[in-house]
Parts: sequence; structure tokens; C-alpha cells
Amino acid sequence: MSRRSFLRGCAAFGGVTALAASLAPLRELGDYTNTEQFLQKYYKELTPSDMTKVITRIEGEVERQYGIRPHVRDLKPMDGVEFVYALNLTRCIGCRKCVHACVKENNQSRSPEIQYIRVLKMPHGSMDVEKGNHNYDSKQVPEKGFFYMPIQCQQCKNPPCVKVCPVNATWQEKDGITVIDYDWCIGCRYCEAACPYWARRFNFTKPQIPKDKINPDMSYLGNRPRKQGVMEKCHFCIQRTRVGKYPACLEACPVGARKFGNILDPNSEVSYILREKRVFIQLKEEMGTSPRFFYYFDK
Amino acid sequence: MAKLDPSAQKKSDHTANYWLGGLTAVFFSLTIFFAFNSKPHVAAQPEIPLVDKKFLDTSPWRQTYADLVKAKEDLSDYDCYACHDKAKPPRIRYDTNQKIIIPKEHANIEMSHGTHERNNICYNCHNEQNLNTLQVRDGNVVKFDNIPQLCGSCHGPTLRDWEAGAHGRTSGYWDRQLGDINRLSCANCHNPHAPDIPTREAAPGPHYLHEASSHEPSKSHR
Amino acid sequence: MISFIRNYIIFLLRCARIAFIGDWRYYAWMGALTIICLLGLNAYAKQLVHGLITTGMSDEVSWGVYIANFTFLVGVAAAAVMMVIPVYIYGNEELHDLVIFGELLAVAAIIMCLAFVTVDLGRPDRFWHLIPGIGQMNFPQSMLSWDVLVLNGYLLLNVHICGYLLYCRYQNKKPTKWFYIPFVFLAIAWAVSIHTVTAFLYVGLGGRPFWNASIVGPRFLASAFTAGPAIIIIALQIIRNFTTYRIKDKALLTLRSIVQVSMIINVFLLACEVFKEFYSGTAHSASAKYLFFGLHGHYALVPWIWTAITFNLIAMVILSLPLSRGLRWLDVACVLSIIGIWIEKGMGLVIPGFIPTPLGAVVDYRPSFNETLVCLGIWAFGFLCYTVFLRMSVPILQGRLSKTNEGQIESEMYKLT
Repeated sequence: MSRRSFLRGCAAFGGVTALAASLAPLRELGDYTNTEQFLQKYYKELTPSDMTKVITRIEGEVERQYGIRPHVRDLKPMDGVEFVYALNLTRCIGCRKCVHACVKENNQSRSPEIQYIRVLKMPHGSMDVEKGNHNYDSKQVPEKGFFYMPIQCQQCKNPPCVKVCPVNATWQEKDGITVIDYDWCIGCRYCEAACPYWARRFNFTKPQIPKDKINPDMSYLGNRPRKQGVMEKCHFCIQRTRVGKYPACLEACPVGARKFGNILDPNSEVSYILREKRVFIQLKEEMGTSPRFFYYFDK
Repeated sequence: MAKLDPSAQKKSDHTANYWLGGLTAVFFSLTIFFAFNSKPHVAAQPEIPLVDKKFLDTSPWRQTYADLVKAKEDLSDYDCYACHDKAKPPRIRYDTNQKIIIPKEHANIEMSHGTHERNNICYNCHNEQNLNTLQVRDGNVVKFDNIPQLCGSCHGPTLRDWEAGAHGRTSGYWDRQLGDINRLSCANCHNPHAPDIPTREAAPGPHYLHEASSHEPSKSHR
Repeated sequence: MISFIRNYIIFLLRCARIAFIGDWRYYAWMGALTIICLLGLNAYAKQLVHGLITTGMSDEVSWGVYIANFTFLVGVAAAAVMMVIPVYIYGNEELHDLVIFGELLAVAAIIMCLAFVTVDLGRPDRFWHLIPGIGQMNFPQSMLSWDVLVLNGYLLLNVHICGYLLYCRYQNKKPTKWFYIPFVFLAIAWAVSIHTVTAFLYVGLGGRPFWNASIVGPRFLASAFTAGPAIIIIALQIIRNFTTYRIKDKALLTLRSIVQVSMIINVFLLACEVFKEFYSGTAHSASAKYLFFGLHGHYALVPWIWTAITFNLIAMVILSLPLSRGLRWLDVACVLSIIGIWIEKGMGLVIPGFIPTPLGAVVDYRPSFNETLVCLGIWAFGFLCYTVFLRMSVPILQGRLSKTNEGQIESEMYKLT
């Protein structure tokens, strides 16, 4: 009996050792999290002084990782502003310049690749995205017989992603932008499953951005570098649009197919377009999501 | 499996001891295995090349006369009377198919404004009386740096869209109280002699997360 | 009060002690499970460091076998109720003592469910954001927050019922009715709710037509009530063969009739779904086409689903025939339906919902090796838990482990056989 107890002890000891050893990979966790970040409060509960501390922490982390001191701001929505995007499908030539301008502006991971905009090459005569080609590789665009449809976050009035998030890590702000608190997201990817526009992206591993490609003009809810394991998506370039500028994808478009502005201002471009143009489309209108992103034809 | 007789009981005890010993050994080998192996069992991700700089360039495709003036560049191309005679407006010649014959001095001009080659009279836009200016069909003279007025004389709705910011490229500020909107002019994108936007190379398409590990994405099914 | 706490601690200690004692088969089984657990834990540690890129998931197919197993196991947990209903509502005698094994299975299944959800999280360090009060719970908006509540509630209910009944048996006391009967009835309603809520997790997504169908909820329940009792039958067979605990054939045959009816309903609902998807042929049937026949040259799930359907049909036929009154055939039918439903609910429901993506891209999903190890680890952990629960409860139910023999030489009653 005592021999049995001894052997049981040995096996138990061996088991505990193996248990400890099985966690060996955790040595490489590195800057996965830290106390300050772990205990950080929810965005909407942060006082201005809390926010200052959080921003200092983020600036420090970015500087340590990328060797560049960024300027991080917590930009609030402007009064009397509701953003709307309008995209002219007659003009778009499918050159994908918007995709890469967005990556550059918003500090998206280059490898593995995260892109907020997906351009679909569509045959004339259909708005069915399942007929679209994501992987077209053309030396010369536009090709005859096709039109091109860039798709990104539609900033819905009834966003399914916000509804499903179990921890309120994503919400709609009063200027219509649906934002994500990257420090609150638990990475369950329910929003990614809920989005009818496939607009959300997950950081499957630590994002990789070359040091010289960092855009130092950052905002908390916008383009600050993300961590492994959280969601991100198009936020209409908060760091630009909330200080009155156009989003990066708009400025990159070589044919002026992209139009952006304040729908509450009757003199804005988007107000003009929605008033004057006859054929405009909310993608998958039947979903009841009511996008703030409109597609239109003008010829 | 009722009561076992004592000898079978003893044998069973021995077997249990062997199993416990064996387990101990296996646990310790696992410990060693874990300690020396921390690489995940996935194929290394291929490095995705950075996109070519040319796809990040956001400058206008063309420079207008106004841009050249602003940049203080050489404007000698716009001085028509360096070659032409002020008193003798050049005559437009056509071949037997009524196709315009472009003189070799202007060989860089491709005439394809409008369909069916009907818009083939230079003086639709250029001022016959003063080649250094342009003219609208009602006879109003327009300077080279005021192209939208000229183009808009035929393309009224487009001019209206352009003025509203709905046609053409803009940059700068959507909020005019915070900054200026920069609006490109017609000739920044359109070649007046051949205004269709030329085709160009598309930037690289998406790379999939597991491209390396036989997760081939759906290549164009069209 | 103090003596009560002392007794309870002694009870727990003796239960813990007995979990480490057994014959060589017990050690072999527990050892093997522990090894698989450790391999899984090691794989999970790697996943934590490198991220979910170590899995086969992608932005296109953003949930994989983790959530598939989770969905299946919620069903298994819910199915414990299928033994409770006959006993407490219809006064069925054969199953009375066996209910506790079903409820213990529910506890083990919920533990596995919670583990599968945890390994699926990108930021498990932020789990506390889910806790009402200190975190932010999007209740009642998010179905996932409902799921967190009902799963944990169900776990507590079952732990309470099993723990209370076992402790009473240990003390040779008759359990106070009001202290557990209300919870039993609550648990019955709760069991239906955990599975319905899990179904609604999918049904509520308008952007995924394959899930956004009202039949998903009923199908979930039908398949759960097939697979759950099937697993319990297999578990009871094992208890019968490896311990001295007596289980009557009649009890197994009562369970058989539950599996039988549920399986027929399950296959019928599947047929309803297949008809709807393929007869109308709308654009929304792309996922079903991908699942059953492949789409645009991608056939990853086709062998899986046809295996599942074949297994389910064979199981249904065996169960419907008098043949399955023979316990060997019953075992075969149960194993077939467990595997069939596992495939149908995992590979057959979760994955095709993502394919094609809402933008029409077809990207296959295949679980990676690391991901498979994590899954095996969790399954092994679940088996380990259930084995330990049985190891503790069988001697208690037999009266071999009780308060009266507290001081006795323990070797006698620790014997497995």
C-alpha cells in the first residue's frame, strides 16, 4: 500500500510538473497586456483626467514599439453633424487606390493584411455581390462589361454589430460613426458574424506595420495601432473627419467617385447628391440596416 | 466483476503500480517536450510585400494651365503665335473620310472628344481670332485658366455637379468653416482632346490569411 | 454551524481523495486524459501568444470548431432534462436514481462549453468586461450576454441539485423537498432556454440567411434531445460495465424511446430545411449548396455532411426497429447519432453560415493542428471531469462512501469494483 501511495505521489508530481511546463509558451507573451491596461475602465466611464492618462500610456506604447512619438487625441463628435458617404458607381474604375490609402492612413497591419475596403468587380446588370470578383488582377482597369463596387463599413443607422456585442465595446456615436473601443473588445467576433457587409476585421495575430509607415496623427477611437485579438473596421477616418477634413479614401480616389459630408447641411455635396441624383442604392436595403453609405449612378 | 480472489487482486495491484510508474515517466517526458517546443503548429506566414509607392500617389493625373502658372513653369507651349501667324488663322484640313488631319507639329494631340468623330473642329473650343485664348460657342472669349466655364458651356449638368462638389476630385476640408476645399479642374483629369479617362493598372488585390496553408481563396469564378 | 462546516469539508476532502484512487484501468484512463489535456493546454498557451492565427479561422470564416463544439455541448447539457422530465413529472421509477448521472453530465458539458467559448476569445484577459456590475454587459440586446447568463445559471442550478442530493445521500438524510424540487423544475425550463438562446445566437443574424431561419431553434432542440440521451445511454452502459452499480435494462430502454422519437423529429426537420433551401432555389441557398454539393469548386464540407446524414439515417432505422431493444444495437445507434449530430451541428451548421461571405467570397475553413489539439484537450478535460464526478457519486449512491464510515479504513470502499 505504501508503495502504491509513493507511486501515486510520483505520478501526481509528474503531472503537476508537466502542467507547469505546458504553459512554457507563455514566456513569450511580452507586452500582451499590463496592469494599467488590464484595469482600464470602459471608454464612456473614463473621466477627462483618466483619458489623459490613457492617452499618455498609448503614446508611450506606440513610441516604444515603433520609435515614433504619435499625437493621440480623443476626438468627440461635432454638434449638428451626421456623416454620409456617397459613392458614384458610374465613375469608379476599380483601381483600388482607396484600399491602400486607407491602410496607410489608418495604421492597418501590412502582413498579415488588414484592409477595410474590398472592391468588387461586378458584371453589368447585377447588384448581387455574389456575382462579384474580389481577386481581379487587371493590368488595365476599368474592363469593358464590368463596374466596380468598393464596399466598406456602411455606418448603418441600425447596426447589427452594435446590437450583438456582449460588452458594448462598439457603439454608434451621434455623428453616425460606429466606433470600437479597442481596449474594451474581448475578441468574440460576434459582430463580424453579424455584419451583412463583411466590414469588420479581426487581428488574428499581432499587427505588423513597418516603423516608417506609421501615421502619427492618431485618435483613440480611430487609427491608433491595434492589439492582437481585437476587432477593427472603417471609422470614416475619425482623426480627419472630426477636424473637418475629408477621409483618406476620398482624397485618394483618382476619379472623384467618392463624396463625403454632413447630411444635415443642405449645401453639402452629399445633400446635393441625394437630392439631385435619381438612382441611389443602399446596399442590402432589405436587411433593414439603413446604411449611411449610398451608391449612385449619374450617367 | 464481483469479488476477485486474493492472487488476482495482487496481480491487479501490480498492474496498477506499473501504470502509475509509466504515467510518471510519460509526464516527465512531456515536461521535457513542452520545455523545448514552443513554436505553434502552423505554417509560417509569408511576408506580404508592401504595396508599390505608385499606388499611394494621390497627385492629379494632369496639370492644367492654371497649375503651370502657379508653379511658374514653362508656358511657351501656350504661346501659339511663336509659330502661327496672327493674321492667318490656321485652316483645318480633312481627309476623304472627313477625318481631321492632324499636322505633324501637333502629332501629340489625339482627337477623340465626342463620339463618331463629329467633334473634330478645333474652333469649337479654340478661339480662331486669338489662338492664345479659348471661346465658348456664343462667342464669349475664355482664358486658358478658366476651363470649367468653357467645358460647362456644353456639359451644363456636369458643370452644375462640379460646382456643387459632386463631380470631380476634391480634397481638404468638408467643413468650410475649418478649412478650404481644394477642387480640381476639368483638365486635371480629362485631356480636353480625348476626355475619356484612360485605363490604368489596378493596385494589388487582397491577400488571404491562410494562403500558405492550402486554403486557396476562390479565384475569380467569372 | 461549525460542525456542519467541518462535516462538509470532510465530505469534500473524501470526495477529492477518492478521485485519485482506483485500479489500473482507472489510472490508465485518467492518465491518458490528463496527457491529452496537457497537450491541449500547451496548444492553447501557444494560441494565446501567437493569436488566433494558429487556428484555421479567418475574417471570412470567423468561427470554427471551437464554437461548433460549444453549440453541440450546449445541446448535450440541455438534454439532461430529458431524464428529469420522466422522473419528476411522470414519476418514472427506473430513471429515478439515474437522474443524477444525467445532471452530472450536464455539469461536465457546461464546463466544456465555457472552456470552448473562452478559447475562442481573442482577449480572454478581458473576460471581466462581461461581468455585470464591474464590466459592461449588453443585456438584453446581445444574445451572447443572454448565453453567458443562462449557461452560468444552468451550471449553478445543476451543481446545486447534484451536490445537494449527493450530500444528503452521504449523510443518509432524506433530502428536503422544497430545497431542491423547485430548482429541478426551474432547471427543466432553464435547459430548454439554454439551447433556445444558443440557437437565437445564430437565428438573430439577418446578414446570414443560412442561420436566419426559424427552423434552427426547433432543430437545435431535436438534435440535442437525440444526442444528449444517446450520450447518457453510453455513459450508463460504461457505469454498468465498470462498476458494481446496478442499472436495469428497462431504464436504458426508456431512454431509447426518447432518442428514437427525437431522432425521427430531427430527421424530419432536416428534410424540411433541405426542401426549403433547394426547392425555391433563391440566392439565399448558396450556403446550403456549399454544404451539400459544393460551390464554385469548393467541396470542403460535402463529405462531412453526407457522413452525418448517413449516420443519422442508419441510427434512425436501427432505433425504429425492435432490433435496438438489444443493447448492442442500441449502443451502435447511439454512437452513430452522437457522431452524426456532432457533425451536423458543428461542421454542418456553424461553418457553412459563413460561406459564402456576405460579399460572396468562398474561402474554405479547415481546423489547424493546434486548434484540433485545443479541442481534444477540452474534450479530454470534460471526460476527466465526468469520470471524477462518477468516481465520487457511484460509491455515495451505493452507500459505500458515507458519513457513517468516516473513520473506517478507507481502502475497502475506494475499490472501484
